Amino acid sequence: MALINGGHLVGKYLKEIENVDVVFGISGGHLESLLDGFTEYKIRTIDVRHEQAAAMMAHAWSVYTGRPGVCFLTAGPGFTNGLTGIANAYLDNAPLVVLCGRAPLRDDLKGALQEMNQIEVVRPITKWAATCYDIKRIPEYLSIAFRNALLGRPGPVMLELPPDILNIQIEESLVPMPARPNPKYTVHPDEADLKAAAEIINNAKKPLFLGGSGIGFSGCSGPLGKLVEKTGVPFMLLNYGRGELPDNHPLSVMDIGNLGLFFSIARFDVIIAAGLRFNWLLQFGQIIPKTTKIVRIDIDPLEINRNVEATVGLVGDAGSVLGQLVPFVNENDHGEWIQTLKGAGRSVLDNEHRIRETATDPIHPVRLVAQIQKFVGDDAIYIADGGDTQYFGLGFTTRQKAGVVASAAGLLGCLGTGLPFGMAAKLARPDKKVVVLNGDGSFGFNAMEFDTMVRHNIPVVCVINNDCAWGMIKHSQEVSIGKDRLQCSELGVRRYEKMVEGLGGHSEFVTKDEEIIPALERAFASGKPACINVMTDPTVTSPATHLFYQSLKI
Amino acid sequence: MRFSVLLFFLYRILQWAAKHNAAYQNYVGSIHDVKIMIKTADGKRGRLFIFDRGAVRSRSGGKHSYNTAIIWSDAKTGFRVMSSQSDEEQFKAAAAGEMKLDGMAFFAQWFNDGVKLVM
Ligand SMILES: Cc1ncc(C[n+]2csc(CCOP(=O)(O)OP(=O)(O)O)c2C)c(N)n1
Repeated sequence: MALINGGHLVGKYLKEIENVDVVFGISGGHLESLLDGFTEYKIRTIDVRHEQAAAMMAHAWSVYTGRPGVCFLTAGPGFTNGLTGIANAYLDNAPLVVLCGRAPLRDDLKGALQEMNQIEVVRPITKWAATCYDIKRIPEYLSIAFRNALLGRPGPVMLELPPDILNIQIEESLVPMPARPNPKYTVHPDEADLKAAAEIINNAKKPLFLGGSGIGFSGCSGPLGKLVEKTGVPFMLLNYGRGELPDNHPLSVMDIGNLGLFFSIARFDVIIAAGLRFNWLLQFGQIIPKTTKIVRIDIDPLEINRNVEATVGLVGDAGSVLGQLVPFVNENDHGEWIQTLKGAGRSVLDNEHRIRETATDPIHPVRLVAQIQKFVGDDAIYIADGGDTQYFGLGFTTRQKAGVVASAAGLLGCLGTGLPFGMAAKLARPDKKVVVLNGDGSFGFNAMEFDTMVRHNIPVVCVINNDCAWGMIKHSQEVSIGKDRLQCSELGVRRYEKMVEGLGGHSEFVTKDEEIIPALERAFASGKPACINVMTDPTVTSPATHLFYQSLKI
Repeated sequence: MRFSVLLFFLYRILQWAAKHNAAYQNYVGSIHDVKIMIKTADGKRGRLFIFDRGAVRSRSGGKHSYNTAIIWSDAKTGFRVMSSQSDEEQFKAAAAGEMKLDGMAFFAQWFNDGVKLVM
């Protein structure tokens, strides 16, 4: 006879069934047995300094590994602190599994410590949320949680685990584990729809393939490569789809940038949009003329006609749909069209290209990005977090899967995501250089995570684009209410790198162009988590600021 | 010459619209001190459009400081493409390197979309 407690059962399920080897969170009394379960089943814990970072790291883990990320939150404030990260995962469709403590069921309605109705609070920002009331059903509930996180369109789930089941014991043989993890079932489009889509693609004269996060979560570089290479269709990959095929692929038009895309979007006769929502970032698709033929591929049938009516809709996992489409499309060459597009992109971005090549005093953020790229290269992972900063950071190029992520450019627009994403990226791909480009404002939200990086030896290099302001807000206020009435938008010259040094990291302070690369050299050579605080031109505004400002104009 | 005249008329139309056209007034809103230049690459011809709290002002010449500039390779191309009022022509000009943007590229699109509202 072998007894096992509820916390260990959770650990056993995570390790043996879902093959989870790292979880993110902060301890709490309500979770003690669970924490011991992690020890028992040799699951690595990354204990952070604010629960929002734990949820964001687990979310990012799913982006960089393609597997669900797991975080643990203690009851009450641990839960409420994690909410921002959960909401972010919800709006980003990321498979995040939240294990949450709870006040004892025994003490419900009596005013127990941290007693609150967590399930009702979290329900609108999860795909599924439930409380497990019976120790025997822990594996079953966990299985349901993972199934909901992963199957169909992914998203976050929360399982509440009260001490009444975590801290009691049961005969282990009475709680069998499922035989295997949930298989990944997919749905497939009809052949008639595939043929209709292929006909549109075969007849296209000025096509574009636009891929989004669904491309990244599907991990479909194989079928995607086959489709674009056979059809010769140029492509842009956005959000977590970035890097699924390298930016320097001959058919990539990533170099025209967001500005080039907006400038050209009315010129395409066919747009194949896969795993991509036409949300505010694409102006709800309103910029696409009605005459453009749209082939829309999405795992969620409700997305197919959302905001823009598709000419043909193909429902299913992006990779599997693209694989099915390949036999129906013709070999083609759109080389001339690609050159035209690139030419237009170059003219629109002419200014930025020149800035990249020119040293200025003060440092221009576009030049900062170019210098980082020059030193770090494209076999690296970049994350940009901030307002203007994230527009500049999208100028990095990569051949890593999800290699350039503007972590605050999701639908929640959540500043502070950069460092948690950077940490998860480094844990997921320890052999790759990871750079977080942070606005000075955004840096503040999770700056204490440098302590986590030092304790767990996660050598991320964070470069602060320090314009001494909440830049995007400041610059839109300048245009909207005027320079003389700025409100809550200015910060100051702060030596953030010294704070990092105090936490045990490597620090650099940069004010001149020629100091950028030597500072990067030393930061990477240190092998430590590093902060390079770069003072940049506070007058520079990105186009994203004006897009943002216009989008709020009623 | 024709290019400069076209820019002058454009200024007059936008100035009028900012006073009388409700849709354009709403579009321009209370935007503060945004300066958009349209000029030739050599800077010899051009006009600056200043949008400030609902009003449109302008100065002739291509040498003023600006937030955004739409730069034409030469006056003839600028006149041909602008007078065509065709996005397709503008795209082709950009693809051929005959039109470039400088500064805050977003405002070029904003300016053009505003012009479409009043034309
Ligand atoms: C958590 C959070 N708080 C506030 C905002 C509103 N906001 C959007 S952009 C921005 C300014 C960002 O400043 P910074 O990180 O310094 O980047 P910069 O724009 O200067 O590049 C703010 C405050 C937000 N999006 N997220």
